[in-house]
Parts: sequence; C-alpha cells; structure tokens
Amino acid sequence: MAAAGPSVFLLMVNGQVESAQFPEYDDLYCKYCFVYGQDWAPTAGLEEGISQITSKSQDVRQALVWNFPIDVTFKSTNPYGWPQIVLSVYGPDVFGNDVVRGYGAVHLPFSPGRHKRTIPMFVPESTSKLQKFTSWFMGRRPEYTDPKVVAQGEGREGENAEAERLKAAQLMLPFSSQ
Amino acid sequence: MNPKEEKVKIITEEFDENDEDAGVGSQKKTSKMARQKRKKPLPAAGPEEMVSENPHLGNQPEPLQEDSDTRPLSMTTRRGPRSLPPIPSASRTGFAEFSMRERMREKLQAARSKAESTLLQEIPTPRPRRLQSPGEKELETEFGAEPGEEAQKTQQEDDSQSRSRVKFRDSVRKIKTKPPVPPGFPSAEEAYNFFTFNFDPEPEESEEKPKAKNRDGTTQEEEEGEEEEPPVQGIHKTDEQLLISATEAEAFLWGLDHAAADFVAVRPADYESAHVRLQMEKELLFVPSRLTVPTYKKLPENVQPRYLEDEGLYIGTRPDVPRTCQNIMENRLLTQEPGRRWFGDDGRIVALPNPIKPFPSRPPVLTQEQDFRAELETLYKKAVKYVHRSQHMIGSGDSPGNFQLDIDISGLIFTHHPCFSREHVLAAKLAQLYDQYLARHQRNKAKFLTDKLQALRNAVQTGLNPEKTHKSLDTTQKTINEYKSEIRQTRKLRDAEQEKDRMLLKTIIKVWKEMKSLREFQRFTNTPLKLVLRKEKVDQKADEEAYEAEIQAEISELLEEHMEEHEQKMEAYRAAYQQWKAWKKAQRAKKKKKKQAVEEHPEEEMGEPYPEEDPVKPVPPEPTDRALMEHQVRERAARSRRRPGEPLLVPELSLAGSVTPNEQCPRVEVLRREDVKRRSIYLKVIFNDKEVSRTDSRPLGADFRVHFGQIFNLQIFNWPESLTLQVYETVGHSGTTLLAEVFLPIPETTIVTGRAPIEEVEFSSNQHVTLDHEGVGSGMPFSFEADGSNQLILMTSGKVSNSVAWAIGENGIPLIPPLSQQNIGFRSTTPSSSVHVVANGRIPPFLCALKRADAISSIGTSGLTDLKKLAKWAAESKLDPNDPNNAPLMQLISVATSGESYVPDFFRLEQLQQEFNFVSDEELNRSKRFRLLCLRSQEVPEFRNYKQIPAYDREIMEKVFQDYEKWLRDRNVIETKDHIDPHRAMVAKYLQQVRESVINRFLIAKHHFLLSDLIVEEEVPNISSEGSGILGLSLFKLAEQKRPLRPRRKGRKKVTAQNLSDGDIKVLVNIIRAYDIPVRKPTASKFQQPSRSSRTFSEKHAASPTTHSPTHSADYPLGQVLVRPFVEVSFQRTICHTTTAEGPNPSWNEELELPFRAPNGDYSTSSLQSVKDDVFINIFDEVLYDVLEDDRERGSGIHTRIERHWLGCVKIPFSTIYFQAKIDGTFKIDIPPVLLGYSKERSMIIERGFDSVRSLSEGSYITLFITMEPQLVPGESVREKMSDVLKKFDSQEDEKLLQATEKFQAECALKFPHRQCLTTVTDISGKTVFITRYLKPLNPPQELLEGCPNNPQATAELVARYVSLIPFLPDAVSFAGICDLWSTSDQFLDLLAGDEEEHAVLLCNYFLSLGKKAWLVMGSAIPEGPTAYVLTREQSHYLIWNPCSGHFYGQFDTFCPLKSVGCLIGPDNIWFNIQRHDSPLRINFDVTKPKLWKSFFSRSLLYPGLSSVQPEELIYQRTDKAAAAELQDRIEKILKEKIMDWRPRHLTRWNRYCTSALRHFLPLLERSRGEDVEDDHRGELLKQLGDYRFSGFPLHMPYSELKPLIEAVYSTGVHNIDVPNVEFALAVYIHPYPKNVLSVWIYVASLIRNR
Repeated sequence: MAAAGPSVFLLMVNGQVESAQFPEYDDLYCKYCFVYGQDWAPTAGLEEGISQITSKSQDVRQALVWNFPIDVTFKSTNPYGWPQIVLSVYGPDVFGNDVVRGYGAVHLPFSPGRHKRTIPMFVPESTSKLQKFTSWFMGRRPEYTDPKVVAQGEGREGENAEAERLKAAQLMLPFSSQ
Repeated sequence: MNPKEEKVKIITEEFDENDEDAGVGSQKKTSKMARQKRKKPLPAAGPEEMVSENPHLGNQPEPLQEDSDTRPLSMTTRRGPRSLPPIPSASRTGFAEFSMRERMREKLQAARSKAESTLLQEIPTPRPRRLQSPGEKELETEFGAEPGEEAQKTQQEDDSQSRSRVKFRDSVRKIKTKPPVPPGFPSAEEAYNFFTFNFDPEPEESEEKPKAKNRDGTTQEEEEGEEEEPPVQGIHKTDEQLLISATEAEAFLWGLDHAAADFVAVRPADYESAHVRLQMEKELLFVPSRLTVPTYKKLPENVQPRYLEDEGLYIGTRPDVPRTCQNIMENRLLTQEPGRRWFGDDGRIVALPNPIKPFPSRPPVLTQEQDFRAELETLYKKAVKYVHRSQHMIGSGDSPGNFQLDIDISGLIFTHHPCFSREHVLAAKLAQLYDQYLARHQRNKAKFLTDKLQALRNAVQTGLNPEKTHKSLDTTQKTINEYKSEIRQTRKLRDAEQEKDRMLLKTIIKVWKEMKSLREFQRFTNTPLKLVLRKEKVDQKADEEAYEAEIQAEISELLEEHMEEHEQKMEAYRAAYQQWKAWKKAQRAKKKKKKQAVEEHPEEEMGEPYPEEDPVKPVPPEPTDRALMEHQVRERAARSRRRPGEPLLVPELSLAGSVTPNEQCPRVEVLRREDVKRRSIYLKVIFNDKEVSRTDSRPLGADFRVHFGQIFNLQIFNWPESLTLQVYETVGHSGTTLLAEVFLPIPETTIVTGRAPIEEVEFSSNQHVTLDHEGVGSGMPFSFEADGSNQLILMTSGKVSNSVAWAIGENGIPLIPPLSQQNIGFRSTTPSSSVHVVANGRIPPFLCALKRADAISSIGTSGLTDLKKLAKWAAESKLDPNDPNNAPLMQLISVATSGESYVPDFFRLEQLQQEFNFVSDEELNRSKRFRLLCLRSQEVPEFRNYKQIPAYDREIMEKVFQDYEKWLRDRNVIETKDHIDPHRAMVAKYLQQVRESVINRFLIAKHHFLLSDLIVEEEVPNISSEGSGILGLSLFKLAEQKRPLRPRRKGRKKVTAQNLSDGDIKVLVNIIRAYDIPVRKPTASKFQQPSRSSRTFSEKHAASPTTHSPTHSADYPLGQVLVRPFVEVSFQRTICHTTTAEGPNPSWNEELELPFRAPNGDYSTSSLQSVKDDVFINIFDEVLYDVLEDDRERGSGIHTRIERHWLGCVKIPFSTIYFQAKIDGTFKIDIPPVLLGYSKERSMIIERGFDSVRSLSEGSYITLFITMEPQLVPGESVREKMSDVLKKFDSQEDEKLLQATEKFQAECALKFPHRQCLTTVTDISGKTVFITRYLKPLNPPQELLEGCPNNPQATAELVARYVSLIPFLPDAVSFAGICDLWSTSDQFLDLLAGDEEEHAVLLCNYFLSLGKKAWLVMGSAIPEGPTAYVLTREQSHYLIWNPCSGHFYGQFDTFCPLKSVGCLIGPDNIWFNIQRHDSPLRINFDVTKPKLWKSFFSRSLLYPGLSSVQPEELIYQRTDKAAAAELQDRIEKILKEKIMDWRPRHLTRWNRYCTSALRHFLPLLERSRGEDVEDDHRGELLKQLGDYRFSGFPLHMPYSELKPLIEAVYSTGVHNIDVPNVEFALAVYIHPYPKNVLSVWIYVASLIRNR
C-alpha cells in the first residue's frame, strides 16, 4: 500500500507512568496499552506493558509510585485516530483476587514538550445491588472485555461506571515529527 | 524651604547647645562666635528673605501653632526651633513639671540663639505671628522692607540683648535645678523637647515609639499647665491679648532693666509708591501678553504654515480653550522655551496628543537575507480556548453582570368597559374627540400651512420681481415654477386640514349635545364631563378682508394655473397642427400613388388633434371660468373655513360637572355603580413568556381609571424577546378573567430610566359580556335611540400608560445587554458582516464603533439593521470620513451602498456553511484522499479496513478506486463470464444485492453495542436457572479449593472479535484417527473384487449383518504395507500435514495449527461470520517409488521418490467452526466413487469382531476435533439484536397464534434450554411465518419419477440426490449471521441456493408428495450444528435423511451425523421432544405419545387449518442441454489452465487419449450415481492405457459457481506431482437436471509411463 511512501509523520513518545492516588487500595500494578486509528502504526517500542506491584508510600501523600517507563514510536499519515494511552490498574481485593481498580485513557499530547497528565480512573459498576454484593463476594468484579474499550466512544451509553479516584500518570513526551 | 533639611541642621546644632549648657560661663564667647558666624551668610540670604517674608504675614505654616506655645517662654521672641530630636519621657507630677519648665526655658534660650543663627544662614522659614506684639512689628517692618545694614544691626543688638538675658536666667536656673531628676521624671532636655519639639509627621524610624509616648505626655502637660499658669493657658488658647500681657509680664518678672524702646530706632513707616512698586515688579515679573502671536514667530523661519485638514488628513477636535488663554500660553512659551516644539505645523499650539508613535512598532528589518528568513519563521502559539456563548445568554462581554429593565406601570384607562353606561360611552367618545382636538390644536397644522403658503407667495412675488434677478433667467423661472407647484400642494393640504379641524369641532359639539340630551332623558348624570364652548370675538372687518383677500389670491392663482395649462395645450396643439398639416400635404401628394399609406397610419390620425375642432376649444375659457372658479373657491372656503366674522369656537372639556348621587338614581344605575365598585384590576408582567411580577389589585374607579403607579425592576439575564402585560379583572370574590394582553415594545438601548416617556399602549379584548343593569356590556349591540335603531357594538378596550426603560447602574452605566445580543437583525441584511458577528462570538470592531458613535442615539438601534438608513444618517450628520473612529462605520456604509452587497431574497439555513468551506465542493470531490476517507468511514467493504491512507493526494494510486468504481458500474450489469450460465448469474446477482442490503442494515446494528459486549460481569445468580446459576451453589463453590487436585473442565474465556489482528486467531485441528481407509491394490490384480452391483438398497440400511461374506483378498502378501495414509489440512491455502501412519485404520493423534486471516483484516463479528473459506482435510497415501535407474548403485544409495495419492477429503466450512466453537466427532470421508489403484479393504480378519458394526455403513471415517484459539464469541448478541428488529416486521399470522408460539417456546426452553424448538421463522421478505406453512406436498420433477417407476425407494433416493445437487449456501454466510431466512421451495429452486432448512423443506415436501410420512427434524448434527434433517417413516423403521448430501441413515446408525433431535415439524403440527434423551438412537419417534412429544396444536389449541406459503405446484423447465455442454467445455478449459498455472515450474502435458477415455466414463458414473462402476472402469482403463501407472479420481459436486470447483481440484493436490514425465488427464461432465440443477463430474488423473 501507499504506506510505504515517504509521507508519514512520526510520533515519538517516551515518558513514564509515575504515580497514582488510590486512597483505599494498596499493592497495585498497572498495565498500559495504546489505542490508535487505522492510519497509525507502531514502528518501535513497546505497545503495551505491565508494571511491577507497588505499595503505598508511608508518608502523607500515600502515593503509589511506579515510575514505569513508556517508550513507543508511531507513524501515521493522518492525525485522525491520534493515539490514546489506556491505563488499567489492578490489585488484590480482600480475598486476594486480582480485581481491576481503575481504567483510564488520555490522548497523547499533541504538542512536543514535557507534559504531565492526571487521569481520572473509573471502574464499571455492577448493574444491581445484588450483583454488586456477589461480585464483591466472589471477587469477580465487572470489568471491560478489553481495556481498550475505554478509549472508544461506541457502545458506552448504557454503561454505568463508577468514577473513582484520581490517578496521576505523568507522561513526559518529547515529540518529533518529520 | 525644606523643613526636613532645616531640622537636620538644627539637630546638629542641638549638640552644640548641649555643650553650651555644660559650660555656661563661656556663653558670651560662644554667642559672639555665633554672631560672627551669622554675619557672613546674611547678605546672601537677603533677597530670599525678602521673598519669604512677604507671605509670612498671613501664611503661617502648621508647625507654628506649637511655636506659639513656646514663644512666651522665650523672652527674645525671635523664633523657636521647630523640631528637635525627641527623647523618651513621661512627666507626671507637678514637681517634675516645674523643674522641667525651668530647664526648658534655659534650653529655649540656648536654642533660640542657636537657631537664630542657623535660620539666618538657612532659607528663612515662616515666622511666628510677630505682628501681635507692637514692639516687634517695627522690627519686622524694618527687616522686611529693608534688608539693609540697619536691620542687621538691630537684630544683632536684639540678639545680644537676649543672650545676656539668657545668660542671666540660666545662671539663676542652674542653681534651682541642680537636684538630680528623680527616675521616671523627664530630664530637662526631655521636657524641653517635649514642648518644643515639632512633631513631624515623618519622624525617624528609631524615634517612633518615644514620640508616641511624648504625645501622651503633651496632652497631660497641657492640662496641668492650665491649672498652674493662666498665661500659659492663655497662650494655648492663642488669645492675643493674653499673649501680649504674658510676654510683658514675664519680661517684667525677670526684672529686665531696659526697655525695648531703647534699642529700637523709631522711624516713619516706609512708603513705596505703587508706581515704583510696579516698576520693580516689572523688572522681576514677566506677564505674557494677551495679544495674538503672529504665525511667523511660531514657525521656523521661511516656513509656510501647513494645514493638515486641507490635505485631507483627519484632525481631531481641539479642546475648547479661550482664545486669550491660548495667546497667553503661546506668548509664554515663546519666551520661555524658544525651541518651538510646542507649536504644530499649522502654527497653532499643540493641543492634541500626537497620533504618531515616537518609535516604530514594526521590528526593524535587517538587511541580511538569512535574517529575513528568521523573521519569517512561524511561531507556535497555543490555541486559545474559545468560550462559547449562547446567543440568548448575556455573556461576560464588556459589561458583565445583570441587566435591568425598569417597567413603570402608572395606570390604566378603559375606553370601553362592560360596565359603561350609555353616558359613559358618549363621554369616552367625547374625551377621545377632545384629545384629538387638543392634539390637532397643538400641532396647528392649518396655521402652519397657511403661513407656509404665505411665505411661498411672497417668494414667488420676489422671484418675479425683475430688479432682483441676479441669477440666470431659467434658474429663477425654474424656482418660481417649483414654488408654484409647492403653493398648489400646500393649498390643498391646508384646505384638507382646515376641513378636518372644522369637522372635528362639529363632531365634538354634536356628541356633547347628544350627551346632554341623554342626561336629560335619564335624569341623572354619571360622568363629571362638561364641555364649554368658549367664543372668541374677532374683528369682523379685518376678518372679512383677510377672508376676501385669501379668496382672491386663491382665485388668481388658480387662474394662473389654468392659463398655464391652456398655454401648454395651445403649444401642443400648434405643434400637432403643424405636423398634421405637413402630413396632410404629404398625404395628398402620395394619395394617388399609394392608398395604403393612409391605412398604415390610422393610429396617428387618431392621436393628432384635428385642425377643424381644436383651435376653437382652448381659446374661450376665461370669462366663464373666472366666475365659476370663484364660485368653487368660495364654496370650498365656506365648507372648510370659519365664516368671516363668525366667533372663534374653542371647546373646553372639564370635569367640573357633578355626578348624581346614588339615592337619586334609578335602580339599574345603582346596580351598575355597585358592580363597578366590586371590580378590581391588576396587571401581570410577562417577560419572555414568563410571569415575572404583578401589580397590586386595584379597585376600578367610577371613572374607569385605575392607578397603579408601580415600577418593576426586572433583573434580567436573557435578552428580552417579548414583554407583555396581562390585564386581569376580578369581579367580587369570584375568579379573575384575563381581559386582554398588552404587548410592550422592548426599549431601544438608548432609552434609560428617567428619559423614558410615559407611553399609552392601547389594548382591547374580544370578550362578550352582557350585564343586567345599566351597563352596556361588551361585544353586545346597544343603541342610543329609543327605537333601538342605529346599533353600536363596542368591545372592552383601554389604554395602559407605562414606560419601559433600561435601568442605570450605580456608576451611571446603563444596564443594557451588549449589542452583540441583537445581531439577529444584522443577519438578514449583510451576510458577510453577520457571519462575522456569529463566527467569533464577539462584537466585531465595527459594531464596537457603532456602539460608541452616536449613530444609535440618532437613528435608534433598530436603524442599524437598515444600512441604507445608516448611510443616510452618516451623510446627513456629515461624519468626518477621515476620522479613524469612524473608519469602520464608513467602510460598512461604503460596502452597503456600493451595491456589491445585496439583500438576498432567500433564506439560508446553514448560512455559515459557505464561510467555513475552505475549499469548494468540486475541489473537495476531486481530492482522492478525502474520497478515500469518506469511503472508509462509510464502511464500504473495499475500504473498510484500509490502513494508512496516504497523507497526500499524489500518493494515492488511481487503481485503488478502480475496483470500487468497477463494482459500482457493474452493479446492475449481469456478469456472465464467471457464471457462464446466465440464469445463475442472475441468481448470483440477486443474492448479492439481497446480501448487500441486509449487510448495510446490519452495519448500522453493528455499532450498537450491548452492555455485555463491553463489560464482563458475572450473571445474576438465578435460582430458577440450572447449574451454576443457583446462588447457593455458587456460594458453595467458594468453599472449593482454588486449585483442586482433580480439576473440572471450565469453559474457555470467550474473546470478542473486535480487538484482534492478524495472527491472533488460530484454527486447531486435532486429527485423531481414521477408519477404513482404502488400501492399495497391486496393479497386477485383476477383477478380483466381486461386483457389488448385486447389493440392494435393503442391504445398506438393514440392521442385520450383511449377507455377503467379506471377500478376502489373497493378493496381498502378509506384512506388506497396505496404505500409508497421512492427513493434510489446508485452510486459506495454508497447508499442514501429519506424519505418515500405516494401515487402513491409522491413528495420528496430532494437533495441527493453522493461522487464520480475516478478510481485509477485519475481525469484527460480521466479517468473521461471512468468511466463506472451508477447511479441507485431505487424506493422502504416501507412496514410495524406487527411482534408482542403475542397479549398480543400489548398494551405495537409495533413491526413492515420494508420491502422494489423494484418497478423500472432509470439508468443513469455517463458519461452522466459528458458530460451533468446536467440532468433535467422526466424519465420513468423502471418497471419490472411483479410486484407481485402491480398494476398500472390507474384511480384515483381525478386526472381525467389529465387523458387524462397521458393515452397517460403507465408507471411511475420520475422527477429528477442530476448534479455534482463542475462542471467539459468535455473533450471538447480534442475532438477538436483529431478532428484536425482526420482530418489528409485521407478521400476517394471527396475534393469538403468535402469542401461543411464544408461550410454547418459553415452556420448551424452560424444560430443555438446549433443544432447538422452532415455531416461527422469517421468510425472505422479512415477515414472521408459522413454520408448518412451509410443509406441503410438492411434486418432484417428472423426470425423476419416471426414472424407476417401480421402486419407490430408488425414487426417494433419486429425489434426495436431486435435492442435494442444489448448491448449499448457508444463510449465516450470505446474510452474515443476521438471521435464518426461510425461502419457500419455489424461491429456493429459483435461487438455486439455500441452506439446510431449504433443502430439508424441499425434500420433505417431495417425500410428502410421494406419499411418505415425513417430518422435518430440527436438531443438531455434526458438523453443521443446529440444522434440519428429514425423517421418514418406512414400514417398520424410520429413516433420517441428510438433505444436503442426499445420504440417509437408519435410526440406529451410529455414524448418523444427526446427534440430537429438538423437535419434529409436520405439515400440521409441531412436536417438541420431551424425552430424557435427544439422540436419535435413544428416542422414540412415535409422535402420538404425548408423554414423549409435546405437540403445539392439541385439544386446548386446535389446528386452525393454516394455509401453506408454498405454491400449488412446482413447475420445472428442462435445462438446456446445449448450454450445459458449453459450460462443460468451458469448465474443462478453465481447470486445465488452472492446473497449468499451479505448476509454474513444470511442463504440464495432457494425455488426450486418457482424457477422452475418462470423458466417456463420466456419464456412466452419473447414471449409476457413483456406485459400483469402479471395477469395470478400471478394466477398461487398463485395457486402453496399457503401461501407464495411473492415479486419479472423479470428483462430484453440485454446480454453483466455478470457484468451489477449482478449490476442490486444488485441494486434491493432483498438480503437485513433479515426476518429470508425468502426464495429466482431465475430463468434465455436466449432467443437467430439471430446473437448471447441474451435477458436475470432474475426473482428474495423472499418468506415469511404466518402463
């Protein structure tokens, strides 16, 4: 296809998932992946990653610090479908099951330079109280079929998401295009 | 004079003083020194002293107040130091005070002398009020007037005197104040400071605190001092008398032995004459002249003044300054600053700020080129967030906050009301007329017009005056003519006005008379109205004269007019006459020649005046006219004008009349009055259709006036759109009625509170009211006459007096919403400007300009909408077009008036569209990239998954669109090339179109996600549901171990297909084992196999063991390999194969992994559903040939060639795998009827034990397990969604029946949720149809029935074969998983494609027509999954028919693919399987048993006798044999080409001989339906082909299109042989069945010559 042609621009992103504020939870880890349009293709770097488990800091901030690096390069012919980074945070619940603690997505910065983004995180909520109870009890919380769903608009109408806490993810993104 | 500086000086000297204090003895010496010190600087200080001395007389600075306090303490009274450094102190007691006082005196003395010296050196300070002491006055005058020697001398003397005094006093004091100061008391110095220190408003920082303390002390001290020493007190009071006495007293107290006079020289007061003084002043002062400065002085030499206005530049208005002031200023500047920089080019003083910036705002342009580039570099700027503002909202523009509209409702007057009595009606009328009269009177138009007329006449007179014609004649004539026409106009107007005035007066009088008569008639009065006609006497004679003169003037004017007219007529007549004459002459000349000429000009003749009649006509008007005209004029005058001498009537309406009290009125009237009293009125204020406030309810007065006098302040936020007052009337305690609505205009922005006039807005109501008293009612006819004639109908009406205005805020700014709110008006007029307004949401600069300019106030805001009006205003008000302030306005006007902009006479909805189009539509359409993007977003199949659309047009290949365009073009063109057979092409086209439309509908549905598509959530624990759903069970599960030792199988997690990409999905094929693979036959053996033709149908299905004993083939030497089969799986042209096993019953147990690629990389559900690829599982025999040609080498090497021989295949569509998720079972291998070189090894002695089972069916089997990794969620949800949609399609079924079906299905699903139960299906038009309607006996083709008339079983088989020859096309594939569409049998035969249901229905219908008992079996089978089979009942047993393959199975056949039975469907009922098992092996098919089969129609719901949807009869056309033959040739040709293509590196030779042999053989195969011909055939072939090694096989397929045929040939791998001398043979035979059903045979073979 014509993609082999010279006229692509590159989007180089590197940064890190810095830290998070989840006041109620501890021992969380984080996954990231990218959602991008049809005209985009990753050329270098990792498209997804899973971080180490981190514990809350002992100070007043109670921050969960990952400092998990991100480094990826995209090429594209069209700004449409600009990449979004999707973060999902998991951690153990009372019974030790790994449950999802938050989903969030944000577009990669459009301008070169250092950017810091704070992403609000949310989890889908059970459709009924009973289900909420059972899901809590069984450790099977409702979760997205795919974290990438959070970066899409389609089909989100009926969704009942519980907007949860804030999660700060700092992305330092030097940007270059050609 | 700087007090601070002085202070510092004094401070320094204070230290000296301290020294002085220490050594009192040296006082004299120091004082001398001080004196000497003083001497020197004095002369220098002289003039300054003089200047400052003058003001001191009246102008005492503030600190002196304190100075005066200190003065009495000092004897010398020269002046005290005014500020000294304060030292913290707090004096309390009397003693302290006393000693302090003394010390202070000393201090003062010392300081005095010191300060004196400094002061004389320094700039003089304002002096204390020395005038008060007469003695000093002399001194002062001396000093002040003459700063000469003398004064100095006296001063010195004075000083020395004081010094001595000080000295003396000090010495006295010293003794007294020796005792040390007790702690807490102020020291002498402190105390001194306390009194003398001048509390400077800006003390040194370090001394701040002490100072504050001092302040405290001061007040206390003062209080104490008052008690002790009256003089001091006096001083405090600044009483002059006391002050003087105090000084004297003190002086006396101290016993000074000298008198002041001894030292002062007494001289007469100096006098300076005014002249001298002036002279002196002249020297010193400069008074600029008031005379105008000549221009040349103000300009540089030899420069002419330049007037910028004349050059067309804009000069602002200069501030208004009197000429004299300007002159003074100019003169002063000329003298003071000779630089002339204060004068402009025009020689006038510069009064306005210079508009030219002192420095250039543009960055300096550098000369270097690279710098240029740097300058041009674009800068990145962050986008500024645009704050959207709703149009109606008042945004935070230039005047944020609330806006206020003041509505003043002062009152309400009814001009008619139901309660009006007749008198009231008249009174109202009278009042109205009187108002009219007053208004007219005020305007007095008649008078104005009369005056104008007079003036015009005068003008004409003067104009006619020949002496004054200084202008050219025609201009005068012209103006006179103009005047005359003006006079005519004015006269007419005046007459009309006068007539109107008179009429009005008459009417008033008439109405008044009527009223009077009414009052008399009813014997009471209701209204206080009274009309007085005042007569004004006029001078009869003068009046008459004026009257006559007027008439005469008029007559003469009229005459003149007539004369003129006459003149004109005469003129015209003469011209016409001349013309006529000429024409006549010409005519006469031509008369004889051409008679037609006359006829040509008849019209002209008609138009021209005839000479015989015309000359007489205009001549005689004068005498008759005059009298007539006079008559007319007089008549008119009499009608419209007051007769001469008649008194002037002036009507005066007053309310002086008395109203008859109630007692004297008749009952009806009393009732009326009471009714009026009961009524009250209030108003509601409605703003933007919302009630915002209402007035108090006020009773209706007897005069029908209501006074409110309320002001409502509306704090508004929205732009006012409507403002309405609603008038409500309350009668007694009953409800209120809405009388009327009054619409108030929204004030223009210039109207603010205070300026708004009270306006009367009329209203009227349409209500009908009839009253039972004197009131006339409303909307009801009534009459004033006794006989009821001359009826009147009056409606309730009235006037509301109100005023609406914008409020003014606290700071005087009107609270008016910004102008941008009103831009609605602009939109219609100027598209460009309105766009501007809307586009950026702010007020564009020109509107700002408008706002500032006075345009609004002069023409009103509404005027802004009319640009013509605006332009007119601009022209009238003579706006300076060069004024930058007006520039935008002028531009706007120039645009508006230039004609370029026009007011469109259409209304545009998307008016902004054009502005936002950055390229034209054509250009946009031409853009390939845009098109590509559009097509992709429309999800056009070709582009749906187009990745990386190039960034530039030039990079897009034209060929990208070629396919699409071709497709668009060919959409409706039937392409016959691929299909050969036109009918099929048509069918294919039709199917394609149906498919497209369905898919398009489906694509929309695809974007509707269900919650479950996105969120994985545990199901709600449901107690009623089976298995894991039960809450208790799931809780129980919790107790389970997390990792049990014996894990139970858990379902795999399903993956929605949306986020997959290439390589993510794999098809796993687990090949376990195979049974009964054909075995090789040694080529030498001949015809050993006994003919099986003897086998009958009964044998096949019989449960009993086969009658014939297995023939043992003795040809095989024991131990020799019979067959070495391996399995090759090909999918999407990817090929995997297993290892080679041995023997006819091999076991591989191998897992093969095949990658799956979705079409176009689209892994969405719909795309996956439409994957048409098949998984081919081919079984090959691996044959090793020794190719060693030289026996000598046998010892050293082995050369073998591997050949593989195709034995059979199993074909499984991908869609089946996709929907089934897994396929697990044993499948019959599709083995060609003839496999040359192979035979079925039917009798293995070793496996004898199983023989009985195996012999039930012939053929080979393979056990497979196929699945996909990861498991994909089949488009189930989509189906559900669509079925919702489908339910909306109307159904022709009875509503009751539909309900019953739902109930039935629900009941069935409750019992056996996994068993298929079908009651209604969707037909091809989308309607829901009850399923039994599809079943009806239908005739099979006659040809088939004739085939074997005696054998019903054979006929049945033939029919089944016929049905199976109709190509299979799953609905799920063609309709992408949307739904099952059931077509009727005739539709099915027309389309020649369908899935299991259609096949089954057709077969069932045929069987029914053959007289069999047949049912449709809905169940699941492998590999199809949910499917439909046909069940027939033979004499004693049931047969299960697979409609797609034409095979049939006994009920107890283990290899029957049907694995479960859900329900049976007959032509008149549905039976649901409620037996425990659903395997056909284990169930009873006796539907009459209600315990085993739940029937749909039962006694509770009787079969209503549903008509069938099937046609009465099927009509079969014979297929064109020639077409079939042609197709046959073409297929053969194409396949041959394909085989050659597949062998690109080898030569493909075709053995013609073999081909023809095969061609002959194929019809035989068709005739025998592929059975029992193998041996004959082989023999024949061997005969013909002698020494060729031959491997090949016939393939049999139904014909749909070419592609499957090619695939099938490819999958056999015949072409893969790469033996160098291989030859090929290929033959195709097509047997046509009725209705275009074609049976295709393809014989492929490879031949290798044996040597």
